[in-house]
Amino acid sequence: MGGNIFLAQLLSGLTSAMTLFLVASGLTLIFGVVNVFNFAHGSFYLLGAYFAYQAVAVSGVGFWEGVILATLGAGVSGAVMEYVFLRRIYGRPGEAGFQILLTYSFILILDDVVKMIWGTDYKSISKPEALAGPLYFGEMIVPKYDIVVIGVGLLVAVGMWWMIKRTKFGRNLRAISSNREMAASLGVNVPLALSLVFGLATALGGLSGALSAPVRTVTPGAGIEVIIGSLIVVVIGGLGNFWGALVGALIIGEVTAFGILYLPQWAILFSYAVMALVLIFRPEGLLTKRSAAR
Amino acid sequence: MRSWRSAKAIRLGEAAQWGAGLLLFGTVPLLGKSYFVTMANEILVMGLFAMAFNLLYGVTGMLSFGQAAYYGVGGYAVGLLLSEGIVPFSVALPAAMVAGGILALVLGPLCIRLTGVYFTMLTLAFAEMVWAVVFKWYDFTGGDNGIQGIPVPDVLRNPLRYYYFTLAVVFVCFWILRKIVESPFGATLQAIRENQERVGFLGVNVRRYQLAAMILSGAFAGLAGGLFAGYQRSIHPDMLHWTKSGEVILMSILGGVSSFFGPLVGAAVILFIEDMIGKYTEFWEICIGSIMLAIVIFFPRGVIGTLGARLEGMRGNKGAGNEATRS
Amino acid sequence: MQEIPRGWKWSLAVVLVLAMGMAEAATAAEKIVIGALYPMTGRAGRYGIDSVSGAEIAADEINAKGGVNGRMIDLIFNDSKANPAYSVKVAKRFITDDKVNFLMGVVSSAVGLAVTEVSKENKVIFVGTDHASTKLTTEKFQPYYFRVSNNTYQSAAAAALYAKDKKDWKKYYVLGPDYEYGHRTWEDFWMLLQRTRKDVQLAGQAWPKLFEPDYTPYITAILNAKPDVLVTTFWGGDTVAFIKQALPYKLFDKMKFFNYDAGGNYEVLEAMPNTLPKGLVLSSRHHLNWPDTKENRDFVNKYKAKTGRFPSYAAEGAYAGVYFIAEAVRQAGTAEDADKLVSVMEKMKIKLPEDPEGFTSYMRPIDHQIVQVQAIGETVPNNQYPPATMMLGNFKVYKAEDIIPTEEEIVNTRKEAAK
Repeated sequence: MGGNIFLAQLLSGLTSAMTLFLVASGLTLIFGVVNVFNFAHGSFYLLGAYFAYQAVAVSGVGFWEGVILATLGAGVSGAVMEYVFLRRIYGRPGEAGFQILLTYSFILILDDVVKMIWGTDYKSISKPEALAGPLYFGEMIVPKYDIVVIGVGLLVAVGMWWMIKRTKFGRNLRAISSNREMAASLGVNVPLALSLVFGLATALGGLSGALSAPVRTVTPGAGIEVIIGSLIVVVIGGLGNFWGALVGALIIGEVTAFGILYLPQWAILFSYAVMALVLIFRPEGLLTKRSAAR
Repeated sequence: MRSWRSAKAIRLGEAAQWGAGLLLFGTVPLLGKSYFVTMANEILVMGLFAMAFNLLYGVTGMLSFGQAAYYGVGGYAVGLLLSEGIVPFSVALPAAMVAGGILALVLGPLCIRLTGVYFTMLTLAFAEMVWAVVFKWYDFTGGDNGIQGIPVPDVLRNPLRYYYFTLAVVFVCFWILRKIVESPFGATLQAIRENQERVGFLGVNVRRYQLAAMILSGAFAGLAGGLFAGYQRSIHPDMLHWTKSGEVILMSILGGVSSFFGPLVGAAVILFIEDMIGKYTEFWEICIGSIMLAIVIFFPRGVIGTLGARLEGMRGNKGAGNEATRS
Repeated sequence: MQEIPRGWKWSLAVVLVLAMGMAEAATAAEKIVIGALYPMTGRAGRYGIDSVSGAEIAADEINAKGGVNGRMIDLIFNDSKANPAYSVKVAKRFITDDKVNFLMGVVSSAVGLAVTEVSKENKVIFVGTDHASTKLTTEKFQPYYFRVSNNTYQSAAAAALYAKDKKDWKKYYVLGPDYEYGHRTWEDFWMLLQRTRKDVQLAGQAWPKLFEPDYTPYITAILNAKPDVLVTTFWGGDTVAFIKQALPYKLFDKMKFFNYDAGGNYEVLEAMPNTLPKGLVLSSRHHLNWPDTKENRDFVNKYKAKTGRFPSYAAEGAYAGVYFIAEAVRQAGTAEDADKLVSVMEKMKIKLPEDPEGFTSYMRPIDHQIVQVQAIGETVPNNQYPPATMMLGNFKVYKAEDIIPTEEEIVNTRKEAAK
């Protein structure tokens, strides 16, 4: 196969990777700071898609305005979930078990809420005209929309990095993830920070859902499919490690893209195979320091 | 003011509880509705699975989100061995237990290298991989269709007979699990739950105990899976899906992880609720999700735990009342 | 003297209550109870909900005309959750507690395979209305099972006849969900096509997971392989996601898109108003706009009136299921004698909304699979069924007898499986 196919797969792998990263970024952020694996993350992804649908297709708002509204909506919903429900189980004996049940219960509840409000039809929103078409690189086509998604993914990565490394809020988050009690005794408003970061993470989930709405199927049940994919990405990169999510997403995206060329019968096993290798040889994830998890 | 009870009385009390449990389950068929037998059979199977899970979680403090892998492997062991006619049921069922144990022996060491939530995520990840293999291996496992029409020996074909068989097997397993928990081995496991580090300082090889707990848990989960395969006479990759792992977590927490029979009670409650709600509405997800949410928020000690606490409270108050009236 | 009137009133009350009770019992015994399992949650939820509506329309119509020989149809629904173990439990409960005369449903073939075992053991007739695995009528056939919607073989056979005539369709690429349905639907087609066209070749294949959200790397691989035809065996949301993602790559200008079992379902057409490309070659198990007969138009309009939207194909399947049962009970004169019903059902002919003029669907005794006409079309602009802006048109119709396996083939398949 010529260089063209190589480049084409590289690029499509990159697109896949960036969408994966966008979805997984929120998940890993919550885990890193709040130490909660939010199984309902896919549901906020779905909420973002439905909010975007409601704003753009039903209320006639502009596409980007709709995306922003959806992101905010998902973020607020997440912050509310944390404030009203999740907060009650912090520090409980056996907290981890309750976390699983609580987030899982939200998957069920949100799935039905979405179904009751919008029904089971497949919802669609159109891409903005300017972004609907292809970009030509010689014979190769790259959809304009994909480039935008890659761009947003990079923006999110850089933005998150900047927030965590350079802002006071980010410093507080790092302190909280290191030692919650000490951060509180040093004057950090821990409860507020936790709600904010949770909302931020679900906002990222909602953003990825809203951006996916024009190119995927918006239907009840579509939230679950992103959770295992995100889990794989996040586990490979290292739970809680933001750059790890990016690295994990890139690996999965490219391995799948090239695997399809050479071993198309086994497409569904690629991500599991990579995950297996990482888990056997470096269970804490590729970017997490060894000591953190043992 | 509690009444003084001798060790003998305590043991008698316990025996009475076991007897009551056996009686309760034993007389279900006499109620006349065959559907109750179906339900009770499932409760016993899931109850065993949940108790096996709780050996890891409630007793040893290891939250595994991948026990469905062992349950499923046990089920597939029975399903495949019987469908191919390789061995009779009397061999296939113990084989299911062995299969569960062996898988735990393989995956266990890989998982227990990490602790806490990392351990949980690893168990989930490995269980997903086992699921993917079973799902994809169409020629061997029947893939996404599963296998139906598993031939169970004629003597057990009758649902009533199979129910009593399950009852016997499951209660024997309960008894064994009880002995394990009460033994010095069990005490070590509980100590590990309380403070892993300190136990290590005492010279105990913590990892080895954790692995042993995983193997035992996996073995009993496999047995539960095998019993299910014999009862349902069909198997499907759903048995290994992460939602199944979630079900036993839910059942154990609902019933109460600190009490021995908690998971069994939890299994009964969940299966009843699922059944009731499913009958009446298509919106069962929001109903069950809300119930789960309520349990998490309001019943942190589970049904048995909360009931137990209430009873303690009542007994204590009564005693105080007596004291006050006495001059 | 006051006791006698009081006693009189009490006795009357008791007698009335007894009479009502007996009347209740009497009418209960006279109902024809159908226990239906359909997915009402998750990705297949649309089909389950539409099936429920379709079945209810049929039952209401029949009951409005006085039922079947005076007996009313009573439908009980339960979510199958696309979960075989749960569905088996519910099916058993239907039989022992609700005393259903018939089982009906499901959408997932895995559930169908599990429920058919329950049907076999309890000798309760199971009328399949949507799942398409041929296994249920070949390897796993049991006499109490009947299917009133077409299976993957029929769609594939029609597709093979369609493709046979397309002389410029030489290089094929197949993309489908990696599970039995996805593979089988393709394999049946490819096997049949190769019998009549020796010049076709497979340029490539790929099998993403079911409900895969991101097809981008698959699309670039397909474009690189430059096939004449892309066959996909997706259903529902996967079809929609793939088309949406492939559009900017101008994939549909470079090759024909052929999805011959579920690609042309209405929920796919309705999901992409204004953006669905022209010229996609698709079929469905029930078309809203073909055949253009009064029965089909009436069915679609009734459905729209009842639910406010147009039906996906699953609705007509469930509608057919209820009518099939009703007609069988009418002819057999019983809803309880399963063996008598089986002998009636095996040979039944029943006119369905999807039957074109001059054809009546009929059941085949050897495999209890309904024999029907298939029509394959391409997407063309059509505003009659909003929100869809394209429907299928330019239909090529395939005779029912041309698209079923021969009796010999069925016997051989069963022999192979029994080994």
